[in-house]
Amino acid sequence: MPSASDRQVIDLDRVVARTLPNGLRVRLYPDHQVPAVSFYTFFRVGSRNESPGLTGISHLFEHMMFNGSERYGPKEFDRVLEACGGTSNAYTSNDVTAYYDDFASEALQKVIDLESDRMRALRLTEEALEQERAVVKEERRLRTDNSTFGLMEEQLETLVYQAHPYRWPIIGWMDDIERIRREDCVAFFRTFYAPSNAGVYVAGDVDPEDALRRIEDAYGGIPAGPPVPAVPGGEPEQRGERRAVVRYPAQAAAMVVGFRGPRASHADAAVLDVLQTCLSVGEASRLRRRLVQEELAVSASVAWAWRVDPGVFMILLELAPGASRRRAEEALWNELGRVAARGVTAREVDRARRLLRSSVLHELATRNGIAHALGQAEALLGDWREVGRALEQYQSVDPEAVRRAAREYLAPDRRNVVWLEPGEGA
Amino acid sequence: MTLAVPDLHEERLGNGATVVVAARPGVPLVAARLFVRAGSALDGAGKYGLAHMVSVVARRGAGRRAGPSIDALVESLGADLGGDAEEDATVYGLSAPVEALPTLLGVLVDVVAAPTFPAGEFERLRRRELAGLARDSDEPGVLADRAMLASGYGEHPYGHAVEGRLRDLRRVRLADVRAFHRRWYGPANATLVVVGPLSPADVLGRARRTLGRWRATAETPAEVAAAALAARRVVVVDKPDATQTQIRIAGAALWRASPDYFPAVVANAVLGGGFTSRMVEAIRVNRGLSYGVRTRFAMSRSAGLFTFSSFTKNETAGELVEVALAEMSRFVEEGATAEEVARATAYLAGLFPLSLETHDQWADRLCDARICGYGLDEVRDYRERVRAVSVAEVRDVARRQLPVQGGVILAVGPAKDVARQLDRFGPLHIVPARSVL
Repeated sequence: MPSASDRQVIDLDRVVARTLPNGLRVRLYPDHQVPAVSFYTFFRVGSRNESPGLTGISHLFEHMMFNGSERYGPKEFDRVLEACGGTSNAYTSNDVTAYYDDFASEALQKVIDLESDRMRALRLTEEALEQERAVVKEERRLRTDNSTFGLMEEQLETLVYQAHPYRWPIIGWMDDIERIRREDCVAFFRTFYAPSNAGVYVAGDVDPEDALRRIEDAYGGIPAGPPVPAVPGGEPEQRGERRAVVRYPAQAAAMVVGFRGPRASHADAAVLDVLQTCLSVGEASRLRRRLVQEELAVSASVAWAWRVDPGVFMILLELAPGASRRRAEEALWNELGRVAARGVTAREVDRARRLLRSSVLHELATRNGIAHALGQAEALLGDWREVGRALEQYQSVDPEAVRRAAREYLAPDRRNVVWLEPGEGA
Repeated sequence: MTLAVPDLHEERLGNGATVVVAARPGVPLVAARLFVRAGSALDGAGKYGLAHMVSVVARRGAGRRAGPSIDALVESLGADLGGDAEEDATVYGLSAPVEALPTLLGVLVDVVAAPTFPAGEFERLRRRELAGLARDSDEPGVLADRAMLASGYGEHPYGHAVEGRLRDLRRVRLADVRAFHRRWYGPANATLVVVGPLSPADVLGRARRTLGRWRATAETPAEVAAAALAARRVVVVDKPDATQTQIRIAGAALWRASPDYFPAVVANAVLGGGFTSRMVEAIRVNRGLSYGVRTRFAMSRSAGLFTFSSFTKNETAGELVEVALAEMSRFVEEGATAEEVARATAYLAGLFPLSLETHDQWADRLCDARICGYGLDEVRDYRERVRAVSVAEVRDVARRQLPVQGGVILAVGPAKDVARQLDRFGPLHIVPARSVL
């Protein structure tokens, strides 16, 4: 592993890659198995590009992208797309804002028209801003204010990051969502939504040369944008454990722990994928056996997502009813300490590699997954050719690398701990 | 344009079990499903959650293997194996690298045919399930969906969440789990579906040598009756701390294999399915009342539920319900326009191929067709059949299937703020969150 068949899964030689004179990166992956196409546009902007007072503008702006442009009026984007057999959605992360359209192959020209028109000439009206502001406030109430996990995660990021923009939530502080003005959106669009800060990734039933011509015709005339301001990277070294408590009328206690990890482009990012799998993927993983099967917790999971700047290795424990918080915490520190001191076995690393391989194959089994993976690789790692490279990286991870990474990144002095304490909330 | 359906190799084994194998190109993974025609509809009064407990505990020891040894084997091969109870069946799924199938097919069959149901694991998993249910009361959306099933279906066998409820799970004994398995699990009720880049002859041979050796006599489940639309009522599940109210409107509706299926799918797309639906337009776009709005027909083998789902800040719960009911009434009275029907059918037909891209999607579809009793001609001709739906059919199905007169209006939020906004819509009942669990 990876076998010859893995390389066939995503045959990078098939990708047609071109960068237009205005800086727009275009990557096309033909695959005719299904008469459909997935079309992604990645903008290199997310919450890390925001500043205090305007947190949440990347996400709010994502909503504004569906409210009309020069040739397509308000509400028309989805109406036109659905009428030709397509659907669209978008997400905003700490690092990127990604838009996708999935559609029947015949609709390619229409999608290119819709997407290029909103990149060239988005309409930003006061009316649309007020409407989306209300919608986003409901989204925040749903995902954060009325969600125990949302509340804990928001606290955790403020502990892990003292200075870096990853400190604030992607959806933004409620106060800032209220504050964003139309002028802020106009400036944001000019800076971050220019073709020079974007990439288009198309996978599916297309003729690449034909699609490329259509894209050049539609996007070629959009002017490049100004250079994107650098993100302040300063983050003081953590020299001791940090803690916070969220008191909320919940049924049982829960704990989330975060450690600042490496950036996506660092070789250790793949090592932490292996460590995450050894710790929490599957019933035979260490934390499941130690904490869940021994009934200190009802669930134990690890989230480790690659980010442009150093991201968070996050562990979530939902405690069993009546379980001692002290014992659960000690059991977790013991398990992490054991990996840092003695590492994991070669068999565990092999198991992790196989599980990770299956997970990558699942991701690349759809047109949407392939287009997304190409865009994600270019945004996080600087090159679409990095797609699937993690599979090769996993091969070079050995038990010693896992031990070293655990010792370095999961050291007690680098812990950030948030406890959810059941009780009357604020 | 018809959609290519992979060649199916089907065989009825000597013991009565059915095997369906579909070879198709794609990623070197295999999707296998072994389902038994026994699900939560057979839980029985006072034992809600029983079929689910069977599926959870079955994985913890089977044949000659103890639970940890199944974990180690499955995961060391990069695979995933587990059971999920549904209303009409329990589906055990295996997703594995294609080269691991020879080793793991036997494990999948053992988990279904020969679980050992260790007592210690049963007790541990029951405690875990109970804790999980209790935690659900922290999730307003989950609470709303659970309460909606119970109040939308009433006493119907589909009228409870598959996971069961606290008071029943506390009473379920290991003997109940064993008895459920003995009564319903047998080859005559079982179907194995395998999809991936594989050799059908090879898989059929392995199926004969594993599944084909299962000897057990199971009872054939009786067909579940259709569900009837109940009289209108309003239920408020009190969650005093919430700053946002979850809203559901639900009523009994058509079953999956109903001849109304295609008109209902199109009607739903116009009313509340896609991003440009009437509900999204009225609630999100025009009024900014919510982030998420959708309607759907949730359809099982014998009955279904029409559901409207959304959420809004507590102060606007009444306004949201009013707008949703007004849109439903308008739809029933006026139907959809030709332009709306054309857009919805183009949308559904265009996207359908993307719902059948992966081995897992095909395996799930093949199971669903057999569990719910519809033919694959529906899959093959989906796009033609969607496009053939007329404006008149959409209006007709809306009249018969939308709960504008009856059904339940359900809210999960602080009763002190929400109840007075909703009592104008029907007789009001306020219940504590714990009663839903």
